Amino acid sequence: MIAIRLLIDVLIVVGAYFALAGTLGILKMPDVLCRMQASTCIPTLGVLCVAIGGILYAACFLHSADNAIKIAVIGLMILFTNPIGSHVLAKGAYKADRKGKNSLKLNPDDYGRDINE
Amino acid sequence: MQKTRFSAVLATFILCMVVWILITWSFSVQELVAGVLVSLATALFSSRFFAHGDSWRFFNPAKIFSLIGYSFTFFKELVKANVDMAKRVYGGCKAVNPGIVRVPTEMKSDYGLALLSDSITLTPGTITMDVAEEDGKNCLYVHWIDVTAESGEAAGEAIKGELEKGTRRVFD
Amino acid sequence: MIELLIGAIFFALMAFSLVYRVAKGPSAADRMVAGDACDNLLCCAMILFSMYSGRGIYLNIALVGAFLGIIDTMLVGRYLEGSL
Repeated sequence: MIAIRLLIDVLIVVGAYFALAGTLGILKMPDVLCRMQASTCIPTLGVLCVAIGGILYAACFLHSADNAIKIAVIGLMILFTNPIGSHVLAKGAYKADRKGKNSLKLNPDDYGRDINE
Repeated sequence: MQKTRFSAVLATFILCMVVWILITWSFSVQELVAGVLVSLATALFSSRFFAHGDSWRFFNPAKIFSLIGYSFTFFKELVKANVDMAKRVYGGCKAVNPGIVRVPTEMKSDYGLALLSDSITLTPGTITMDVAEEDGKNCLYVHWIDVTAESGEAAGEAIKGELEKGTRRVFD
Repeated sequence: MIELLIGAIFFALMAFSLVYRVAKGPSAADRMVAGDACDNLLCCAMILFSMYSGRGIYLNIALVGAFLGIIDTMLVGRYLEGSL
């Protein structure tokens, strides 16, 4: 039992470390797309470690199967749906920026074909 | 717009019902009847967007096992990219060199392209912005936070080398 | 286990600090990125607090948050793209 408690603590600390990396990235990165890249740390390793820790706690200490399955569904749902929203939002941010202020600093810029037409 | 086929509706209905049972986790008759009604309505409206081609592809055991094997490869890449991004952020957010690169890929099927681009988006440091077909090949437009490669092929090897091998084992 | 409560408070504080980006962010996409990350962090905090208190009712709130968090992001993205 004490080993499982230590494992849950380590998982929560690792999840908090990567979630803090994502949060600081959103607060400090220079432009929109870089902020989006940093924010991907939160739904991957942040949510995943916390969800695995929660599943272990619910299965080993609370002895409730439905809570464990519900946490697994929450984690998988965030993991599966986040890239779709991220992709749509990145495309929208790029197009809105190119129509307006044009302030993104990008290096090899060959993604302008369906905006300049 | 595709036509609604019976096998596609049935496959979508089974998937929705499994998700319903996992969420509620109660086997009383009232909840199961409500789940059947909701799943049937969802399947009737959305099966023509959801299941293209062979509807029973996801219930094939070989595909499921290769998908589980792919998830280990993906998890390794995920941890590597996460540690790299955490180093960049804790180092003061100065080591960024963003750019959009055009990466050619060998994938043909819709599901394979979706799985590959979702995996690329889910690793921190790369976001797929568009998928386009140019001169007979599918190309991904990827926003990359640290552009170090000169050509599209080298960038593709750095971004999706392991992921594409695993994805081709699952689909086509 | 008190460390579950400490973890939940830490995640909630991180979500609260993202309100700065939601309030300030120069463009609409900035605000939306911060809001989406806020949603995910609050789901984590809800999981940890539900495990601390031992009641499953908080998990239902986290489940609804996880399911509906995608829709507003896609709505704002489609609107910015101009195809809505």
